[in-house]
Amino acid sequence: MKAMARPLIIVGSIVVIIGALLPWATFVLNDGPYPDKATLEFFDAPFGLSSFRLYLEILGLAGLVFCFVPLRDKIRVLKAVGWGALGVALINTLFIIGDGGGFGAVTVADGVTAFGGIAAVIGAAVLLYGAFQLPAEPKVVINPKLPFWAEWLILLVAFVALLLLITETLTAGGHSGVSDPYIGPLFLSYLSAAGALLGVLWAVGVTKWISDMSERHRIFSIVVLVACAVAVPFTSLGNDYWMTITANIGVYAATAIGLNIVVGLAGLLDLGYVAFMGIGAFVAANLSGAVAAEFGIRLPFLLAAIVAGIVAGLFGAIVGSPTLRVRGDYLAIVTLAFGEIFVRVSQNNIGGLTGGSNAIPNIPDLSLFGTGFNDSLTIGGVQLPSGVLYYFLIVVLVALVMFVFGNLKNSRIGRAWIAIREDEDVARAMGVKTGKLKILAFMTGATLAGLAGAVFAHKLATASYDSFQFNQSVTLLAAVILGGMGTIPGAVLGAALLFVLPEELRQFSDYRLLFFGLALVVIMRFRPQGLIADRHRRAELADQDVTGESLDDTVIKEPVAVAGAKEAGA
Amino acid sequence: MGTLLQQIANGLIFGGLIAMVALGYTMVYGIIQLINFAHGEIFMTGAFGGLAVYSWVLPPAAQQIWYVALPAMLVGGAIVSVVVALLMERFAYRPLRNAPRLAPLITALGVSVFLQELVRIFFPGASSAVPFPNAFITAPLHIGSITIPASGLLMLIVSVVLSIVLETYVNGSRMGRAMRATAQDPDTARLMGINPDRVIVLTFAIGAVLAGVGGVLYGTYIHNVDPYIGFQNGLFAFAAAVLGGIGSIRGAVIGAFVIGLIKNLADIYLPGGTAYDYVWIFILLIAVLVFRPQGLFGEAERVRA
Repeated sequence: MKAMARPLIIVGSIVVIIGALLPWATFVLNDGPYPDKATLEFFDAPFGLSSFRLYLEILGLAGLVFCFVPLRDKIRVLKAVGWGALGVALINTLFIIGDGGGFGAVTVADGVTAFGGIAAVIGAAVLLYGAFQLPAEPKVVINPKLPFWAEWLILLVAFVALLLLITETLTAGGHSGVSDPYIGPLFLSYLSAAGALLGVLWAVGVTKWISDMSERHRIFSIVVLVACAVAVPFTSLGNDYWMTITANIGVYAATAIGLNIVVGLAGLLDLGYVAFMGIGAFVAANLSGAVAAEFGIRLPFLLAAIVAGIVAGLFGAIVGSPTLRVRGDYLAIVTLAFGEIFVRVSQNNIGGLTGGSNAIPNIPDLSLFGTGFNDSLTIGGVQLPSGVLYYFLIVVLVALVMFVFGNLKNSRIGRAWIAIREDEDVARAMGVKTGKLKILAFMTGATLAGLAGAVFAHKLATASYDSFQFNQSVTLLAAVILGGMGTIPGAVLGAALLFVLPEELRQFSDYRLLFFGLALVVIMRFRPQGLIADRHRRAELADQDVTGESLDDTVIKEPVAVAGAKEAGA
Repeated sequence: MGTLLQQIANGLIFGGLIAMVALGYTMVYGIIQLINFAHGEIFMTGAFGGLAVYSWVLPPAAQQIWYVALPAMLVGGAIVSVVVALLMERFAYRPLRNAPRLAPLITALGVSVFLQELVRIFFPGASSAVPFPNAFITAPLHIGSITIPASGLLMLIVSVVLSIVLETYVNGSRMGRAMRATAQDPDTARLMGINPDRVIVLTFAIGAVLAGVGGVLYGTYIHNVDPYIGFQNGLFAFAAAVLGGIGSIRGAVIGAFVIGLIKNLADIYLPGGTAYDYVWIFILLIAVLVFRPQGLFGEAERVRA
């Protein structure tokens, strides 16, 4: 079949292109916002509805072009194109079948034929099969070094492109959470196409090149990233709805990074982590001067947040202390038990501190120079949406947590944590004070979660035990694992995915946890190192060397595989 | 005095339930050192399997006759549990047999959430508690000053009998010897002609039968089930298994009765009453893990090369 690879790819690509041009539905999708136009025939429907055709055209053309152009890693490039096309085609075909009632909707009904969907699915499958049959070729690593101003420019462009990609992703298929019956498939189509684009960029080595560059210009990258984050309210995300969503993502991302210290760096599985966030939230709520609070005092927010962090950190040390005697699975159970105790105790309003099932409502809004954090703001004639100050506050929080994490990871403490994760006995033999450091990991993680909890309580204006249940712990853990253990971008990406997807896929929101569970199982099976893998972690969990090349591939490798060689020999 | 005896009786009944779930935890852990978080969900699917048999398989006439209905439900529940457990073992755990230990634990969490949601979404009416038929003698028993529901007594007896049968099987039979050998050292067991995969599958199946039977009896005793009963009771069962020394059958049963007694006595005699009984159990669990991680009957953890 090796000889057939190229013809298969060509045929598949052409079928995808033709499929995209054929009619897709035998009926008129007229229950949406486009009652008279939504026929799904050719490009006469509004772009919002027929954009998937454009994606398929581009992916099909890409398949044709990439088949003949010499590329660094043609197999992976074409696989990415194939998966993307298959995703777009399947999503839309299934949606039409589901929405139109059966296979008649995508074949023949009432004298109308519409084989576009089926043709595109078959074409994409053939293209993908062809890509799998391609012969392996030796790989060349491209990593040109340019003058620093050129690299700065490229980084700037890359980050701005990333920002645009993110805003586009979030608003794909609709804005501001307006209920649109097509938002689910539109968003998923966009996600498939964007995934294919990223996959191609990754396969030809562009992402690696850019991440190496940003590693070389660390300070510059951080400045640009922060600027991008600050710029978000000025983009199409600048409305009340997205400010709330992005602020929530930010809080969970900060918490996920904190959890990443405990799980990703020190390798201690914590199943009750969200309890620390809860402790922070309740402490902040009690010190906020809310009417329902036990203490009638109102501390300035900064002070209250610090107190919340410290109290959560103390609890972290208490929960972490069994680590001195308990290991592995047993430790996970201790933390789970602690999380359950926290939920029960706060549900029962212990000492009047948590409000029980009434929660602590009406936590006063924060204010800066007389402007409430929930008010809208006008800067230089630009009207910014309400909640924008909370957004900025949370950007600061996430930046702070990233700063702490990044510095700890590359410090003596961080290396000791990684050593403990890899092999505790060996670490101890090497002189690492394992007991102290494990408690420190718990404390640090808990303090960060406490800070995030304090912000969370003010943002929501209420602190309720219901926000800190076991499911939240699992979601956070899933975010860390999905994104990639031990990395910052991984935790942020994971939190963003797990907290944005339910917003976009509201029509499937009932199935959210079902997919979570399934996703955890599938990720552990096929990509245990997560989407953005830590170098060492990748070497450990998948059979890859530290440069990220798979050891299974029959390609020429550079002999740098120190960590990988150990794994391969095992 | 009457209250105390009544609480002890309730505690023993609850302990009997927990024991049936705890045995599955302890056996699986003993063989492959996996905390099978999803085992509570096996119990839950067993309860729903029994309910499904009652509602959709049994003709209305048979529903009224408990000695027809209950055995049918027990068999149905056990079959559902075993099928779910074997699918889980085959598709979720077996591919990870040689993965780092964190991986199967997270997979187990995923399976647990997945099964809960599967039942909640696809079992008719399961988004809230579903009434469960009392498919046993409805008249309660009066012994002195205490009152015991007949279904509770049945649960206690079934649990004790099954535990004894299991203990005898594991200690006496050929397959039981294979199980103990695999638990001690899978590689050497393989050299001795034992197929570890078969032993593991059998272990999951036995655990699932016990959990499924437990699930149906639980429904009969409590009169309603929801998709989350597995998580809660699974945690208690896990606590029991750890308390008794995970890997030990006798330990799990004794641990389960201790947990059952503590829960029911805490309802009356410890500060906080029923609202805090969970808290006491978890505090006990943490204390056992910290001060005697090997449990009451377990061996100290060996470090394997």
